[in-house]
Amino acid sequence: MDDKKKSPAENLKAFLEGFFGAFKHSSTEYLEFELRELENVFALILMGEFVGIPSPPTTLVIRLLPHMTRELYVMQRRAVEMDDILGELAGLFEIT
Amino acid sequence: MREFFIPKKGYRVVFFIGKGGVGKTTSSAAAAIALAESGYKTLIVSLDPAHNLGDVLMEKLSDEPKMITENLYAAELDMEKLIKAYLKNLEESMKHTYRYLTVINLEKYFEVLRYSPGIEEYATLEAIREILTKGDEWDIIVFDTPPTGLTLRVLALPKISLIWTDKLIEIRKAILDKRAAIANIHGEQEFVVEGEKFKLPTREEEDAVMKELKAYREEVAFVESVLTDPEKTSVVAVMNPEMLPLYETERAYESLRKFRVPFNMIVMNKVLELKDDVPELKAKLEAQEKVLAEVERRFKGLEIVKIPIFPEEPRGIEKLKDLGGIIVGR
Repeated sequence: MDDKKKSPAENLKAFLEGFFGAFKHSSTEYLEFELRELENVFALILMGEFVGIPSPPTTLVIRLLPHMTRELYVMQRRAVEMDDILGELAGLFEIT
Repeated sequence: MREFFIPKKGYRVVFFIGKGGVGKTTSSAAAAIALAESGYKTLIVSLDPAHNLGDVLMEKLSDEPKMITENLYAAELDMEKLIKAYLKNLEESMKHTYRYLTVINLEKYFEVLRYSPGIEEYATLEAIREILTKGDEWDIIVFDTPPTGLTLRVLALPKISLIWTDKLIEIRKAILDKRAAIANIHGEQEFVVEGEKFKLPTREEEDAVMKELKAYREEVAFVESVLTDPEKTSVVAVMNPEMLPLYETERAYESLRKFRVPFNMIVMNKVLELKDDVPELKAKLEAQEKVLAEVERRFKGLEIVKIPIFPEEPRGIEKLKDLGGIIVGR
């Protein structure tokens, strides 16, 4: 019932915020997807040693590991939940 | 004295390379003794996991430089210990950072890392780097290396590491760019894992990964710059007058040239010289002549020094002195 007490201007403001918020969100959808992929790839390259693909200098891998919480998390989630990349891409490009 | 033994810019680094058993350790020890005799403060370091520098010098050595005579210091690096210390160090810092991240089974990761391909080479490179960063304490640093294969890979590593690091820096830049673009629209982004919150870094200066990448690049670039500088580094190949060591020396020559590491001289060790005719050794002498002629032909312009076989193994400072004189050219 609080809405009634608000002035029309405030209502309009809230509406516009929501409206542009949605735009804001959809504007970075692709970017966020790309970022996740890049982070995943970055971690995969460093972890290549564990699955036997050529890997960067072990020294470097060892030194980077402590700072890789986020990237390892993204990589593990990708692997564990077997994210449906095709599905995600289809959603992204609005293919139904 | 041969000019590639003389320190020109600060200090001089000399690598003795060669097939197993040709006499690298003896030659390098002899050269180091001769250089120390000439008044240069010399450090000889054995990188070979099968250490016998101590046996040649008849001294007990450890990974700390030990004074042998005036101006001569010697050390043997324990790779096994280095690798262990290395991983231990990492394990500590990892446990600290990841204590909230239970999804990762740390012990398993370390087991794999310990036996991961190339860890020996990287540890050796790391050891060389550490000695080079403190290079100014010495006039000349002589490295007695493991057999050719491993050494060549170690000498090639800085270049390869630079390529890897540059590629990773590129990807990292892309990641940070994307994050910055998102943060521009939505404000600062946070990442929550198991209740702990992180701010996602968007700028190169505040990203720990980028900082580490750049620091590593700088370190490797330093080693690379020393190794490829003919004023600072020289490589001496030791071989015997036989076909197999000849092939191996030739391969080493080619790959060092590819990585622009200067290659200066060949020590032809254990050359058989007979005063009288011994029919049983005739074939051996002929084969030796053939290799000697081949070497002159294939390595034109390179300094080649012949060392005869000695009636007894040269061990101990006194006996090595003369041999060293021949190698460094006094």
